[in-house]
Amino acid sequence: MSPPMFPRTPAAAAFRSLERVLVRRRLLGVDLRLRLELLALAGLLGGFLFWQARIPLDGLLRMRGEGAVAAAVLATLLAMAALGGLIAGSRHAVRLRRGPPGPPWLALPLPPELLGRHLAFDSSAPALALVVPAAGVLLGAAGLAPAWWLAGCALAFAVSLAAAVGLGCAIAFRTAAAAVPSRPALHPLTRVLATAARRARSARLPAPRWRGGPVWLTLWRKDLLLSWRPTPARQRALPPIVLAPLAALVWWLPLEIPVARLLAFALALLAAATFAEWLIALAGCDPFAVLRTLPVGVGAVWGARMASAAAGVALLLAGQAAGARALDPQPHALFLVWTGAATLAIATLGANYGVTTYPHHDQAQRLLGLSLGVAMAASIMIPLLGWVLLLTAVLHSLRRLPRWTALEAS
Amino acid sequence: MLKVEELSRRYDSLLALDRVSLEVRPGEILGLLGANGAGKSTLLRTAAGLQPPDAGRIEVAGADVWREPIEAKRRLGYAPEEPTFYEEISAAEYLAFLAAIRGLEPAAAAARAHELFRSLGLVDRVDEPVHRFSHGMRKKLSFAAALLHHPPVLLCDEAIEGFDAAAALAAKQVLRERAADGCAVLFSSHVTETIERLCDRVVILHRGRVARTLARADWGGRDSGLSPLEQEFLGILAAAAPPAPA
Repeated sequence: MSPPMFPRTPAAAAFRSLERVLVRRRLLGVDLRLRLELLALAGLLGGFLFWQARIPLDGLLRMRGEGAVAAAVLATLLAMAALGGLIAGSRHAVRLRRGPPGPPWLALPLPPELLGRHLAFDSSAPALALVVPAAGVLLGAAGLAPAWWLAGCALAFAVSLAAAVGLGCAIAFRTAAAAVPSRPALHPLTRVLATAARRARSARLPAPRWRGGPVWLTLWRKDLLLSWRPTPARQRALPPIVLAPLAALVWWLPLEIPVARLLAFALALLAAATFAEWLIALAGCDPFAVLRTLPVGVGAVWGARMASAAAGVALLLAGQAAGARALDPQPHALFLVWTGAATLAIATLGANYGVTTYPHHDQAQRLLGLSLGVAMAASIMIPLLGWVLLLTAVLHSLRRLPRWTALEAS
Repeated sequence: MLKVEELSRRYDSLLALDRVSLEVRPGEILGLLGANGAGKSTLLRTAAGLQPPDAGRIEVAGADVWREPIEAKRRLGYAPEEPTFYEEISAAEYLAFLAAIRGLEPAAAAARAHELFRSLGLVDRVDEPVHRFSHGMRKKLSFAAALLHHPPVLLCDEAIEGFDAAAALAAKQVLRERAADGCAVLFSSHVTETIERLCDRVVILHRGRVARTLARADWGGRDSGLSPLEQEFLGILAAAAPPAPA
């Protein structure tokens, strides 16, 4: 995506500088583990699309030749660019409606055109993620069409993505401006932002359901609610939601069974690790002074987290059970037992660390990463040693659960 | 009802509480006065179960806060000086969550929450996420949360500082009513006038120790009624209020 064209004014320079800082901060703000997870996800998605594209493109080459392959690749990339425009436009529309992030923009002496360009730039960032599937499709076509044709397709994708994103944001802005009352003296952006600020002040949530039930169930419901709302727990919920279905989809790829089994198992472990991170993030969402002054014991807190752990592992196993049907009954059962035990141990470790280090969830995330890293390294060095270490960590953290009652905030 | 015996608490080299003992009887509002750093918040946080004492014990309606924490916390309401919340849920969702945790009957808890929201002037904002609340509104919500379950012991740590005038008057009235029902209230404040008006006795903390205990008669025995300014203000509010629905 090309950067927006700013006129040469001090405000334009300030916006360019702000955007550079924002991009840098957002990249640095993602911790190393999450960066690696995102890279792994991008690799998996790219690889998946590579295989999905390679076989039909190869068939196309045999039937209609190189030109048809290049045309198919170009059409796919243009469709992706259009999707990018849709993503950027819908995100821009939502942000204009709810009020864009940042300072109180209307209080700053800024030309509305400049501000509008900056807000569109900020809304467009997720569309860049389409570079990953586009790269997967281009790699899938490598060798099936001349390289310079594919380079042209890549260039066309970059240009059309930038154009689609710009068009999407422009449509979003015009739609937002049309939806607010007309005031000829005011710039449309000013009207849109002023209306958004009024909406933001009066944002309402649905009325709660007043209900009883055991304490662990109330805590579990609260955990689900916090994962639904814009909290750090919601951000952590996304990777396992993506990884668990990918782990099941592996079985449908044209792979040898041993390779598919290994890949599915590795992805299931990765899904369990990110799921454990979500469980820890939930612990981080509980305000210390709220939870500790309530008549809540460690059993209820741990029970709520383990209910989530058990439900997550059950869903993951259901996907694997459906996917691994190609295996004979005995290896199938063994694979499920092995995967279930490993993923449940990892999820339990996350739940335990979240409880025993409360309210220092950052320490819990580091402990989890360290424990899983050591277990994996040990498994590579000596078969099964990693499992011994993992189970030891689970048992050790279980023994420390009663500490929860005496933990302090500082 | 609330007994604090020989309570000590140290932060590294600072002795924040030094063998503090006090008792709040049923139906009594005990004021806690002291300069910044005197140990008021430390005492209340320890009594609420947020930090363990180094020595001594705290008993809430017969239950030791650190030996029987769940029983003690069932009988305790705590309104802290700087309240924290689940920021992304609404005020009503927050009280519904607390009511479920405390095992309150849902319909009665909803009615009680509405009554508290109404008296504190929050009733129009209960469906908004807490992160949109001003400082005063957050303190009101914390106060409502502490009172939701009719606790026999109430700990208020500068709980009504930051309230607007009408809500402060309503809160004081609620506290008096709770005390009349037999609740023991430990009320910490920097505002001596509030303590003078509201409290039956006052404990003055100084450098972590109980410096003095005063009864109402010791500070001139001003009654707990309204000041002329408060009466005038309430009169204006009453005149401007819309008529009650039939």
